[in-house]
Amino acid sequence: MTKKIVLLLAGLMMASLLVAACGDDDGDDPEGPTIRVRGQAFSESVTIAEVYAQYLQAKGYDVEVLTAAGFRTEAIDALQNDDVDLIIDYIGGALSALAPDAGPSADPDEIVETIAPLYEEFGTTLLDYSPAVDGDAFVVRGDSEASTISDVASLNYVLGASAACFERPQCFIGFTDPEIYGIEFADEVTIEFGPLLGEALAAEEVDAVIWNTTAPQIDANGFKVLEDDQGLFPAQNIAPIVRTSVLDEYGDQLKDDLNALSEAISTEDLLAWNNETDIELRESDDVAAEWLEDEGLLD
Amino acid sequence: MSVVVVLQAAVPRDIGLFEWLLDGDTWTGRAGILSSLLDTVILCGAVMATAIVLTVPLATALAHYRKGELTLTWFVTLSRAIPTFAVAGLLVPIALKRGWGFEPWPIFLALLLLALPPIYLNTYTAVRQVDQGAVDAARAMGFRERDVLFRVELALAMTVVLTGIRVAAVQVVATEPIRAFLGGDGLGRYVRDGLGQNNDTLVVGGAILVAALAATTGLAFALLERVVLPNGIRRLQSTQTR
Repeated sequence: MTKKIVLLLAGLMMASLLVAACGDDDGDDPEGPTIRVRGQAFSESVTIAEVYAQYLQAKGYDVEVLTAAGFRTEAIDALQNDDVDLIIDYIGGALSALAPDAGPSADPDEIVETIAPLYEEFGTTLLDYSPAVDGDAFVVRGDSEASTISDVASLNYVLGASAACFERPQCFIGFTDPEIYGIEFADEVTIEFGPLLGEALAAEEVDAVIWNTTAPQIDANGFKVLEDDQGLFPAQNIAPIVRTSVLDEYGDQLKDDLNALSEAISTEDLLAWNNETDIELRESDDVAAEWLEDEGLLD
Repeated sequence: MSVVVVLQAAVPRDIGLFEWLLDGDTWTGRAGILSSLLDTVILCGAVMATAIVLTVPLATALAHYRKGELTLTWFVTLSRAIPTFAVAGLLVPIALKRGWGFEPWPIFLALLLLALPPIYLNTYTAVRQVDQGAVDAARAMGFRERDVLFRVELALAMTVVLTGIRVAAVQVVATEPIRAFLGGDGLGRYVRDGLGQNNDTLVVGGAILVAALAATTGLAFALLERVVLPNGIRRLQSTQTR
């Protein structure tokens, strides 16, 4: 009996998929190559990639979502090697990856001026950045005496951060540079970027972690984000980067569609998505579909 | 800017492999190879000692009395299928919540689970398969049960037991670097930092160090087997294999 129901359900699903697939094909779909989208291997990036991919799919583009892998370096490598056509990245992070010698900047337009030509060098185009920001965050437990990063200098804290932080001027090197923050940490622990940072902080294994402002665990655990009083952290708006050849084949339509979507995403949306995926443990594609539906972006 | 360079904790990305390996600072200091090596050796030593103490007497006794041949052996073989990284990764949040910290319990238990099966299975099989004629002869000569166990069965099984220990030791040493991905350090830190910092020299150099330590461990145990096995047993082995 159960078997029959399962079969029936499976049949219904197939049928509805077919209907849906046919329904999309109303003749005025944009013509062009398949757009391969890939997120980076953390939940926010996966959800962002899903949002962009499902949005483009709803607009009739031919989209393939690749399994999320690696971080920024791998994403840029993939663009250069023609393995993906669209990534969505944080502009400040892209600045430190593409122009490591450029000083940090809190002004997104200034960052875009620097990185847009660098993306063009390998045949990709940086589109308009979104108002949504997921910046770096110097996070401490709620009972910490510090309220700015400078306050940490006198506290002899143990710092937990990812391996990448320890070589970045906008991260560990900036914290320890006497001309910027001049903090001497009691010890440094390398921790995989992600929820483990919060668990280490809560367990008092470390006293401060370098995380991102939209990590939902920060609020959930009563942690606080210290003020970056020396302006070390760059502006981290999200922005899509598309292979220029793909962009040219679709003409202005793809560019306008993507810019409209970026414009619609806010920092609060990022926080809400992360809360859904990391605290409520929902799937990124469901969260993305639901948001697009609620915003009326699927028409 | 020069101050920043001096303070830079990370290894420069464009450094060559030999340049890195031959630099004195690479070896000494807090994050140096020597102190990382010591961390790794201490942990692996503790894991191996615990595994041997837990396993060899138990497996010998069980094999002597012909107990648990199917059930326990099956269970131990099955436990080999559990990925070490998954065990350690699952234990880390638990250890953190209980206030035990990142180290050493999660990685210690995970590596112990890796070390137990080869030692147990080799010991059990070796003792179980000792020539029954030799055991009967010992009993006929008036050996007490304890002497049959230690002076005949375990003595004759020693080569295979030591091989099990060697296999386990090499596996433990080669797997220990996952500790660097779970909030610890040890010899795996260079691979971890290299991956995180996009520094191929560190990844390759770190992998070479881990492989070298694993190979050295295998060699050291092979030498140990030569030293501790009595000549008679070695002659017996060579005639048997001939």
